[in-house]
Amino acid sequence: MSAGDVLAILGGAVVTVTLSLTGILIGLPIGLALAVLRWADVPVVARIVAVYVSILRATPLVTLLLLLFFALPNIGIAIGPVSAAILALVMNTAAFNCEVWRASLMNFPRDQYEAAQSVGMSAGLRFRRIVLPQIARTSLPGLVNEMSLLIKVTPVLAVVGVVDITRAAVRIGAETYDPLPPFLVAVALYAPIVFVLVSLQRWIERRQVLAEAAA
Amino acid sequence: MADSSKVLDVAGVSKRFGALEVLSDISFQVEKGETVCVLGPSGSGKSTLLRCINWLERPDAGQIYLNGVEIGINGAGVVMSDRELSRMRTRIGMVFQHFALWPHLTVLQNLMEAPVQVQRRPKAEVRDEALALLAKVGLSDKRDTFPAKLSGGQKQRVGIARALAMRPDLLLFDEPTSALDPELVGEVLLVMRELAHEGRTMVVVTHEMGFARDAATRVMFLDRGRVIETGSPEKFFTSPETERARQFLQRYAGDAANGKR
Amino acid sequence: MIHDFGIVWSERDLLLSGLGNTTILSVLSAIAALLIGLVLTPALMSKQPWLRGTVRGFVDGMRCVPFLLFAYIVYYGLPSLGVRFDNWTSGLVALTIYNAAYMAEILRGAWAAQPREPIEAGVAFGFSNVGLFRRIVLPPLLLAAGPVIGNQMIQIIKDSAFLTIIALPELTHAAASIQSRHYVPFAAFITAVFLYWGLCLVIEAGVGSIDRLAAARR
Repeated sequence: MSAGDVLAILGGAVVTVTLSLTGILIGLPIGLALAVLRWADVPVVARIVAVYVSILRATPLVTLLLLLFFALPNIGIAIGPVSAAILALVMNTAAFNCEVWRASLMNFPRDQYEAAQSVGMSAGLRFRRIVLPQIARTSLPGLVNEMSLLIKVTPVLAVVGVVDITRAAVRIGAETYDPLPPFLVAVALYAPIVFVLVSLQRWIERRQVLAEAAA
Repeated sequence: MADSSKVLDVAGVSKRFGALEVLSDISFQVEKGETVCVLGPSGSGKSTLLRCINWLERPDAGQIYLNGVEIGINGAGVVMSDRELSRMRTRIGMVFQHFALWPHLTVLQNLMEAPVQVQRRPKAEVRDEALALLAKVGLSDKRDTFPAKLSGGQKQRVGIARALAMRPDLLLFDEPTSALDPELVGEVLLVMRELAHEGRTMVVVTHEMGFARDAATRVMFLDRGRVIETGSPEKFFTSPETERARQFLQRYAGDAANGKR
Repeated sequence: MIHDFGIVWSERDLLLSGLGNTTILSVLSAIAALLIGLVLTPALMSKQPWLRGTVRGFVDGMRCVPFLLFAYIVYYGLPSLGVRFDNWTSGLVALTIYNAAYMAEILRGAWAAQPREPIEAGVAFGFSNVGLFRRIVLPPLLLAAGPVIGNQMIQIIKDSAFLTIIALPELTHAAASIQSRHYVPFAAFITAVFLYWGLCLVIEAGVGSIDRLAAARR
């Protein structure tokens, strides 16, 4: 394995992180919107969201990816590998995030909301200033958990031809007929990323427990 | 040598946790039909003593004999295996402070579980006896209920029935009413009083002075791991011999004098 | 579009065979992972630092490695060390070992939340070893951990789809095969998605039953 090979793997790492971040950043607010729709029990839409979330949580990412990449052009929507990857990540993230946000919304103390109503805040103001800051805090551990899971499924992007850490590792392995070292390098690169996320999650949880104990 | 006419013979038992000596050279005997109440301030080692009797805690020194047979060390002088210990434990019934009922089983199943699984007695016989015991403690209608749905007093009565279902030679009570709301204590003490009057052999660790005064045949006062005083309840509560017993009683004078429970 | 679904229907044997493989693979590895997890959990809580450290390292390691990579290493990488599995065995081994780590962590968490006294009562009443474990320790533990284990099962089913990469004929691979031969991607993959959804609903129903049993006893 030469320096060029290592560079190729690192290049794949950049792609991984970029795609994951894009997926997360877009999926986060969408997940919140879905959660609010279900929590507010908007007729018809809430049910559709529930079904959507249920299906997405049951679907493997690779299947979703293949579906989007092959099926969308088939029904007239042209899509490239990068867009398909981002779309798959966003749909997946939104569905899982929805559940995390929803749990926070359901555990939100009702009386705070009523207090905001009684001082005449509008619905939008109530949500932005009272509800959102608090559920953002309580959802954080769950969201970080989702993020680390999301990173761990990005190798599947290799399936659709997007260059990724794994793909780079596979290519190098195929070229040099020695698959094990590139894989180990790939693992060695993934592991710290995920480890940092998991540690971050634990740290946030610990801080929250302490904050609650002090309160 | 063990005295096999006594149900329980505790000889020179000591126990330490780290640097702290919790029990120092405790010796006493319990005859059949006696109800011995173990009293003392918190930290005196009362619960530890009880738990040493059935080797839930292992004594660092001393011997414990049940009907003349040593618990914990077998005939060859070696520490008993789990199976040997298990056999001895089936002869001792224990009632726990926090009830310790098995949550995945109904009340009736709780009573039947150990007699069937450990003592290997026939199911039909165990069931009949269990139903009779439930009637005895006044909980026949709760037989198919899960413990989580019972009140504290009900749980403890089930706990007592469960211990009785093993047909034990000796009953151990570890602060049976300490975790109960005051208004639920009475129903449990009632059952315990009945057992004492029936002539069961019982060792009861408790703070209920009224019960000790009424139902005990003997009282043992422990402080900081030692037996300070022992004697009949009348003697202990009216004219204790030692200063420490006197101080202890002064703190609890109200309860004993009321004698309500 | 109807025509497309007609083609998929004509290939239903392949799809069902893929579904069967997915189900068998997932169930087998779930059971194996749970059993191995049951062995690893006491090690996780052991007082011996070397034992605890090793297992903890394994568990944390598996949680940081993407499953796809792990499956690759088992199938493509091990032959260079002299161990060659076929794709079915690789898939089963990878799924089992990977999820054994998760199961161990789940069981450890559930165990830590269990009250100690009822188990002590079990000892006091003469239960020991296997009997104590089977009748006193395990039932409440499984009732408490049921939903989380159910979630992990769903994860296993989804991870099994990754094994299409090593040409294991599971559900996604079947759908992709139908797609590549008949050019009916939408029909094929949507059908696969609904079949996965169906599996998931079955598991959620199972979890619901366990949760009802647990709620009655709570």
